[in-house]
Amino acid sequence: MNITNEQIKNMYETMLKIRKFESRAKDLFAEGKIPGFVHLYIGEEAVATGACANLNNDDYITSTHRGHGHIIAKGGNLDNMMAELFGKETGYCKGKGGSMHIADATKGILGANGIVGAGHNIAVGAGLAAQYKKTGQVCVCFFGDASTNQSTFHEALNLASVWKLPVVFVCENNGYGISVSQERHQAITDVSVRATAYNIPGITVDGNDVFAVYEAVGEAVARARKGQGPTLIECKTYRHRGHFEGDMTVYRTKEELEAWLKKDPIPRIEKYILENNIMTEEEIKEENAKVENMVKEAEKFADESNVPTLESALEDVYTDIVEEGRVR
Amino acid sequence: MKKMTYAEGIREGMSQRMRENSDVLLFGEDVGKFGGCFGVSAGMWEEFGDMRVRDTPISEGVIIGAAVGSAACGLRPIAELMFVDFLTVGMDQLVNQAAKMRYMFGGKIALPMVVRLPAGGGISAAAQHSQSLESWVTHVPGLKVVYPSNAQDAYGLMLTAIDDDNPVVFLENKVLYSVKSEVEDKVEPIPFGKASVTKEGTDVTIITYGRQVLDSLKAAEALAKDGINAEIVDLRSLFPLDKETIFKSLEKTHKVVLVNEEAKRGAFTGEIASIIAEEYFYELDAPIKRVGALNTPVPFALNLENYVLPNNQDIVAAVKSLF
Amino acid sequence: MISIGIIANPASGKDIRRLVSHATVIDNNEKINIVERIILGAQALGVGRVYMMPDSFNMGYRVEEKLNTCDELRCEINVIDMYRYDGIEDTLAAAEQMEKLNVGCIVVLGGDGTNRAVAKVVKNTPLISISTGTNNAYPVMMEGTIAGMAAAATANGSFDESFYIERDKRIEIYKNGVLEDIALIDAVISKETFVGSKAIWDMDSIDKIFVSRCHPASIGFSAIVGSRKIILPKDDYGACVDINNNNSKVFAAVAAGVVAPVSVSEPIILNLDDEYKYTTSFRGTIALDGEREIQFSEKQEFVFKVTRHGPRRINVKRALETAQNNGFFKTKNDSLI
Repeated sequence: MNITNEQIKNMYETMLKIRKFESRAKDLFAEGKIPGFVHLYIGEEAVATGACANLNNDDYITSTHRGHGHIIAKGGNLDNMMAELFGKETGYCKGKGGSMHIADATKGILGANGIVGAGHNIAVGAGLAAQYKKTGQVCVCFFGDASTNQSTFHEALNLASVWKLPVVFVCENNGYGISVSQERHQAITDVSVRATAYNIPGITVDGNDVFAVYEAVGEAVARARKGQGPTLIECKTYRHRGHFEGDMTVYRTKEELEAWLKKDPIPRIEKYILENNIMTEEEIKEENAKVENMVKEAEKFADESNVPTLESALEDVYTDIVEEGRVR
Repeated sequence: MKKMTYAEGIREGMSQRMRENSDVLLFGEDVGKFGGCFGVSAGMWEEFGDMRVRDTPISEGVIIGAAVGSAACGLRPIAELMFVDFLTVGMDQLVNQAAKMRYMFGGKIALPMVVRLPAGGGISAAAQHSQSLESWVTHVPGLKVVYPSNAQDAYGLMLTAIDDDNPVVFLENKVLYSVKSEVEDKVEPIPFGKASVTKEGTDVTIITYGRQVLDSLKAAEALAKDGINAEIVDLRSLFPLDKETIFKSLEKTHKVVLVNEEAKRGAFTGEIASIIAEEYFYELDAPIKRVGALNTPVPFALNLENYVLPNNQDIVAAVKSLF
Repeated sequence: MISIGIIANPASGKDIRRLVSHATVIDNNEKINIVERIILGAQALGVGRVYMMPDSFNMGYRVEEKLNTCDELRCEINVIDMYRYDGIEDTLAAAEQMEKLNVGCIVVLGGDGTNRAVAKVVKNTPLISISTGTNNAYPVMMEGTIAGMAAAATANGSFDESFYIERDKRIEIYKNGVLEDIALIDAVISKETFVGSKAIWDMDSIDKIFVSRCHPASIGFSAIVGSRKIILPKDDYGACVDINNNNSKVFAAVAAGVVAPVSVSEPIILNLDDEYKYTTSFRGTIALDGEREIQFSEKQEFVFKVTRHGPRRINVKRALETAQNNGFFKTKNDSLI
């Protein structure tokens, strides 16, 4: 599969954006600036980046509770994202969604989702719309290993297969459903084998290798656009942080984390870039500084934005009805 | 004017919009060549073809989920579940996805979708195929809920439901499907949030919807013989709710009986009762009365089902208790 | 006690070839079934201990539990106690350990990649290679019970091995004079610029193929060369060809279900230990037995060499023939028959 140096640089930038955005979100959560829950994507950057590198602006994605990476990879704007995490009116959802519900219809982002497994079915709907309107769009549905135990996974793969919908199911197998390891939550090690039950191709790739993901999703996207139906791609990966910030990860060993840190996708792409003279050390440093600055700007934007007006809580429940407020 | 069954009203509403707008499509279990479990979509597969009238697997989650996803991506889907009872299987998609997506996403997405749910007892279908669950869906901000009682309303409300940019829960009564009533030659969309006064009266207001509109009419006939002139308000739309028509009627009658088919505990009639008590208490000359099903699952045997579900006699008794 | 080793790779059989071709899907439960049959075949003919590689699917323990549940386990299953990386490292470590433990043979369940890893570390222990991976060039499809019986016959150690064990060739790839990696059957120079999902399915990206053996009845790159010339395992040479160089085309089974015309030059014979120098003129990768492994940039020098340093391979059919000739299948107490 062809890939230009420009594409590789873009992938690297996307991975850095995710890593640095998430790392900053971790600190900001610890400082109390981000309320609620945050589920960080650190360690899994290659999956979203490699997958979304195959998509056009009008292609769709559905995401999960661990959605920041997907949104950044699909072109989400860091300013609006950070503002949403802060609960500000300039946030993607005007402060009404928060970390787990960021969406951007103009970029085909059908939303992060707080319900494990909910995205599968929505992706089927998006695929149905694309197929029905013959637009050539595809939908990439991101989800974790544990969500494949939900009925939605099975309903969605079945219907997508029966209707040959242009959906690429991308499983981020990070080995855990919250604290329960894969061997304790399903009697298989490779989610990809579940594809057999729905008569669609199912493959497993190294989810920490951005090129492996890019290539596999690229083939699946091409297949979907040709009307040949859905594909299940399992990306083996690992989250460096806990399920959410504040999770002490008592359920996993230090050795396991260390083994995975050695497979960190970002040093891997950096090594490739240097070995192939795509960028110099100096340029890599500059790129890092540039992305750090973007995150800083996003934080500044979020910090300086206003909190939403109370009236806005009553809007957007419906397109045409504003709910009643209260006097305090 | 012409006569049409309630099922035909629903079908004509769907078909009219499908002829006018290629973004509208219907999917659900057996809605295709089979024509739907209750024959509501009979003939539509022949007219619109496989792509637009689609049989789905028995997968309620993905039926509603596919409606959510396709609505978010520019279609105007109509999803049919075979029975409202099966909503439990697809509840997450309706409650956590359809109802909340627009709000959670800061208004950046619209979900023009209709979920059709055949409801109610009276056909010896027992407890998993006979429920009335409108309180579950009216409770959820983000959903609109309508429940027609006759062919004309079914037709007109369906047009509006398809036109609406929000998720609409379209409740249909199984007993009413075969009931014929007058339909205008050209049916206009019926705006949501507009109740209709089925029968004018002066002594008591019976607020109801769906199948109980017919029961209430029967009850009103009996009451008339005893000199009680009942007014019947058919809500048609449960959310948005037409408080104005309710209050206007109360100003005239000062007495109210609320009737529906849900198990009475936690029923939607309780919500109407509380609205009246909070906002119109001083217009009342008597306690608010509610008629509903008994607080049991719906039983199978004819005599038991008849006993558990409300009927016109229960309405008569409730009204009389106010005089 | 007579012992054998079993290395069953939990990761084989799930790579991108299921998407880009029509490759076989074998899930881990089926691998467990195969392992059970190997063990049942082996224990019936005297194997007392079976060493297994630990893996993420816990195949060793699952097999033990299943055979104990139906009260059929007569030998000892010993899952090697080692740190698990859930990667190719496990295969390397387990194979090395098994050779140290002096197992009579190692049964390998996996694809070309798994066998290549075993071949890298095992010096003398003979192998039985069962294909559970992508339609492979090195391992072959076979019944586990028979494989287990052949393993027992081999581990028994009392027959003339020259009847049924051959040392295979391999292709050695050197970079700057250092052995970088090996291939058992084929090494391919590809214009694909990254390792990625490993397999190669775009024939246009191939520049050159080296083979240690080739045959039109195989799958993959050796089939391409095999469509021009047949080189058998016993032949003391390999070959290399240029691809996509305006040469005439041949049909070959380049992947499962994919028979495609490929432009192939006349094979150049590489005698054992001949050095073939190759200087890269583009950024690309070298695929070993069908999987991209070595990534290179321009102007790098590699040396390719076909040698007879491959693993010792058991010919299962001939092993059982030898065993039969030596009365191996006779039960100890004839009166029971």
